[in-house]
Amino acid sequence: MFFRMIDKDRLPDLVRGLAAEFEVVGPVAKGDSFVYAELEGPGDLRLDFDSTLLPPKEWFMPPRERIMRFATADNEVVDCEVDAPPRVLFGVHPCDVNGLQLMDNVFLGDRPDPYYKARRENTLIVGVNCQPSDTCFCNAWGTDETHWGFDIFLSDLGPDYFVSVRSVKGAELIDRHVESREITHQDTRRFQEVTARFKASFPEPLDTSQLPLLLDAKFDSPVWDELGERCLSCGACSMVCPTCYCFDVKDVLDPDHAGGERVRVWDSCMFRDFAAVAHGANFRESRSSRVKYRYYHKQWGYLSKFERVLCVGCGRCTRACLAGINPPEVIAALQGAMSREEVAAE
Amino acid sequence: MADAPSVAIISLASDFGCQVQITNIDPGLLQVLGLIDLRYWQLTSSGHMPEEYDVAVIEGAVTTDEHIELLRRVRETASVVVAIGSCAVTGGIPALAGTIDADCRFAAVYGEDATVTPGLHSPVAISRYIDVDYIVPGCPIDTTEFLAVLGRALKGLSNGMPEQPLCASCKTHGNECFMRRGDLCLGIITRSGCDAKCTTLGRPCTGCRGLAPDANLEAARKVYAAFGHDFDEVVTALDLYNTDREVCR
Repeated sequence: MFFRMIDKDRLPDLVRGLAAEFEVVGPVAKGDSFVYAELEGPGDLRLDFDSTLLPPKEWFMPPRERIMRFATADNEVVDCEVDAPPRVLFGVHPCDVNGLQLMDNVFLGDRPDPYYKARRENTLIVGVNCQPSDTCFCNAWGTDETHWGFDIFLSDLGPDYFVSVRSVKGAELIDRHVESREITHQDTRRFQEVTARFKASFPEPLDTSQLPLLLDAKFDSPVWDELGERCLSCGACSMVCPTCYCFDVKDVLDPDHAGGERVRVWDSCMFRDFAAVAHGANFRESRSSRVKYRYYHKQWGYLSKFERVLCVGCGRCTRACLAGINPPEVIAALQGAMSREEVAAE
Repeated sequence: MADAPSVAIISLASDFGCQVQITNIDPGLLQVLGLIDLRYWQLTSSGHMPEEYDVAVIEGAVTTDEHIELLRRVRETASVVVAIGSCAVTGGIPALAGTIDADCRFAAVYGEDATVTPGLHSPVAISRYIDVDYIVPGCPIDTTEFLAVLGRALKGLSNGMPEQPLCASCKTHGNECFMRRGDLCLGIITRSGCDAKCTTLGRPCTGCRGLAPDANLEAARKVYAAFGHDFDEVVTALDLYNTDREVCR
């Protein structure tokens, strides 16, 4: 890693320079919110965004993607090309950079997913620092900062950006497209001050102590029943989650039935048919079991395999869930919850 | 085309909008016609219903004795019945007539002495009278979904209808939530599968696809109340397409 300083009024040069080589995607305004979209020009870029409606995962695993075309007559695959244009994701908060790394654990492991991998390899990440909103709890997981998983990272120091350069590609981008200067001790001091102010601006972090043990101890807690009664089973939480990676695969026939396409679509463990199998059996028929296993997967199962929880505290599910079900609420409820035996004894 | 399944497209009480939608299947319409022996299409023909057909595609709500008789005949004849559009699937907008006093309505429209069609009923979904094998809900139907369901019917596969509410699909389009903006949106209880066209185009969901089989209505009632929508407001909105709550599920 090395560091450079870029004056803020030079940033459009970088965006324009990148646009000559890449599809440049960044946060843009949509109503009162923000979404990632291809930039028409540097003026669209809104690095003052709080969060985006959808996380960056849509640029690596789209909500619906064709994974192959097939012919029915001979049952052959006729096309399985991956659409992975050279792209820059310009303006990714630390939580979402972490989110992509958690996705990587799943899609780039022993058997890499070729679709995800191709897009990941063809996409450069430009991170940017942020200010906590009232739904953020990234500081509970340490995902309020990121040290890997980006090519360059912009930290806003007021008149200029303190730029962390992580990759060779990132260094080339800075070198080619924008005027920058070396950092001074004073710049480093200013960066530290901004970081300290950022850390101090969070409310008290969520108490996540002994979380996997807590989940084990509260497996039969009535809390899950209550959550199941409140859950709309709409799956909004999963769609907006930067770390939910579950998908369904469907075959869609052409109108003439001579061929068709196999598509991958985002799925949610909140859906009743998510765990339905042949002959109508369903491992997660009840809503409470679906909510419960969502939390067990994120805070227990994934943790047991990758030593990190499958949550980055971005707060999108908090904003998406109209029923008010979200990790801070659920964890707090579990900490205060009585077991079934305790309830029975009262 | 000797082996091709024969199809009849039949209409009851409706505005024929879903049949018109079928003509909008471009370019797939001509391709799907190559798969079937289309014996009858009410929209495009003045002729009579054929005696034999394998698949009956039915649009519209049941409103007369004649409709009921026709449905019974169709069910005896067809091995597969496909209901298309909210009128046929949930009773849709015609079923609103059942929420008011019909006689007074006729008098207001046609005058006191008018003779009303004999054997008139309060409009209902066709599943109130016959078993339905496949549904294509919506007002109007989505052409892609119609082709998919027809294809599944021809191949003997399951209907493949999603059970969950609309929200997840809406989220994948990066839409702001209407409920969060203070609007009443029926998406939290309405069957998914429309690709969230209305909400993506800027209009809250009006529930044309019927209630989602896995919708949590008790929870939704509380959510609506918490967002400032009283129960009567929700019921009025829901009634537009879903007066028959049992059928809607």
